[in-house]
Amino acid sequence: MIEVDKVSVRFGGVVALAEVSAVFTQPVSGIIGPNGAGKTTLMNVFSGFVSAAAGRVVCDGEDLLRLSPHRRAHWGLRRSFQKEEIANDLTVFDNVLVQTDRGFTGASARRAEVARLIELVGLADRADTFGRDLSGFERRLADVAKCMAGNPRLVMFDEPAGGLSIDETHTLGTLIKRIHAETGAQTLVIDHDVELISEICDETLVLDFGRRIAFGPTAEVLADPAVKAAYLGTEEV
Amino acid sequence: MLKRLLHVTPSGAAGLAFAAFAFLVIPALAGKLWLSVFISTGCFVLAIAGVAFMYARLGMVSLTQVGLMGVGGWVMLRLNHAAGFPFEVNLVIAALVTMVCGWILALPAMRMRGLYLALVTLMAAGGLEIIFATYQFPNGGEGFWGVKTGSADAFRRPWLAQTPEAYLRYVVAFVTLGFLFIEAHRRLWPGRAWALIRRSEAAAMAAGVNVTFYKMWAFGIAGVLAGAAGGLLAGSLGLLDDATFRASESVMLFALAVVGGARYWLGAVIAATLYRILPALLNNWGVDADLAFVIFGAGLLHAVITAPNGIAGQIMDLAAGLRARFGKGGKP
Ligand SMILES: Nc1ncnc2c1ncn2[C@@H]1O[C@H](COP(=O)(O)OP(=O)(O)OP(=O)(O)O)[C@@H](O)[C@H]1O
Ligand SMILES: [Mg+2]
Repeated sequence: MIEVDKVSVRFGGVVALAEVSAVFTQPVSGIIGPNGAGKTTLMNVFSGFVSAAAGRVVCDGEDLLRLSPHRRAHWGLRRSFQKEEIANDLTVFDNVLVQTDRGFTGASARRAEVARLIELVGLADRADTFGRDLSGFERRLADVAKCMAGNPRLVMFDEPAGGLSIDETHTLGTLIKRIHAETGAQTLVIDHDVELISEICDETLVLDFGRRIAFGPTAEVLADPAVKAAYLGTEEV
Repeated sequence: MLKRLLHVTPSGAAGLAFAAFAFLVIPALAGKLWLSVFISTGCFVLAIAGVAFMYARLGMVSLTQVGLMGVGGWVMLRLNHAAGFPFEVNLVIAALVTMVCGWILALPAMRMRGLYLALVTLMAAGGLEIIFATYQFPNGGEGFWGVKTGSADAFRRPWLAQTPEAYLRYVVAFVTLGFLFIEAHRRLWPGRAWALIRRSEAAAMAAGVNVTFYKMWAFGIAGVLAGAAGGLLAGSLGLLDDATFRASESVMLFALAVVGGARYWLGAVIAATLYRILPALLNNWGVDADLAFVIFGAGLLHAVITAPNGIAGQIMDLAAGLRARFGKGGKP
């Protein structure tokens, strides 16, 4: 369970998030909203790259905001970025292995886990390929494997389907849906692709101008007139 | 895992072959004057390996490497004249003291990104330049600074390397160890953390990498290599001159590391060759050694415009191309 409790963020005069609250309980939840709504900012608060002016984020009883960013990762927080961050100098295998690099114990078990995850995302034959030689979709898949490595508890994706074809998006959606069964982690997905969100997310939070305008089961939320207005209002821009 | 650690790449094989050549052949052929040029070149290869790897693997710009060599050299001379430890013990202490000094100098910039480290290290290099110019290097005098007028006391060379030929071999062995040390790190978990930091610090943090810690680690390695290089240089000459360790030399060394090709061992060798052997050659031919600066400038332009991986990068690409063609042609 993830409790977001009255989180506010200001950048100078800009209010990026205004007392946003939500309790995510489903295996996969979505966050949607027009450009500049504050979705990435909320994710950055989770990661620790942006500090909240007020509010709390409690995951499985752990107050995340008290930990430094890398300690949150040790706790089990995983995220992907709007632009995937796969190191060009490392192989796919090493890119995933980084996520499990802590201490000296259990090296062979960790390697076995990494190999399993790479196979799961469908990159088994690319494991020894360097990051710089991957296609955009392969980089995305490697990113998913990375997010699943090392006992994750909460996995967050920031627009994972950006720049992908319809088929690729579908494959990715299926993978994201499997994360909970494979690892036990809860997943949050930000995306503009409403189809993807309604396909994989059981509940969804809608932000607009840093405010929560709707939260609940995805189908209900998407039918909400306020949500439709927010999207229509920016559609033409 | 061990297999991965000990895997020899073509570039690595070439490096080991070159090290063997430098160990076996060069000392046998070089005359007395060139021996000392090659020894100092070897010392600078070691120091360049430190800055180059930090730049290539983490994108960190350090402009104080020659200043840190001065610290290592100072400690080496100080210990030689003050205590009766063997050369190797002094060298280890010099390397470790330099590492700690490097940390202290760079600490303010470790949490900041990009340019700040370059600026802070440049200021540190300036500070070291002033200290060295003011206090000079120990030569057997009294007190903490250990400086006296007149000729310097004797320097005890390592037991294994009493002659210049043997000392060159000794330096080549240390340089090789230095490269293997860096490469081992690169292939293990610190290397993975570094690669991610280079990609993006946010991504590294999100992957659980303690960014400050691993940057410090890298800077520590560069410091150890600079300290050892300075110690070995002190051992070659028996005394040091503050003009060797000016801040401008550190900037030059970094620029040459980029020109040579910071990602490759060959780049460090090319950089040190340009830095030490080229001026000596020009001198030998009776040409003004300042011509070297013109050549450096041309090299830098060349690197910036056409060769992002430096001269070594171009050579490696050429070698890989030839290998690919040869390999294809060789198969039926
Ligand atoms: N580091 C920052 N400094 C100043 N303002 C920022 C910063 N990051 C975000 N903002 C502002 O905060 C608001 C929310 O931005 P955010 O990136 O969270 O939006 P988003 O919902 O992720 O949008 P998109 O769909 O375009 O990715 C925007 O007005 C943006 O300009
Ligand atoms: Mg965003």
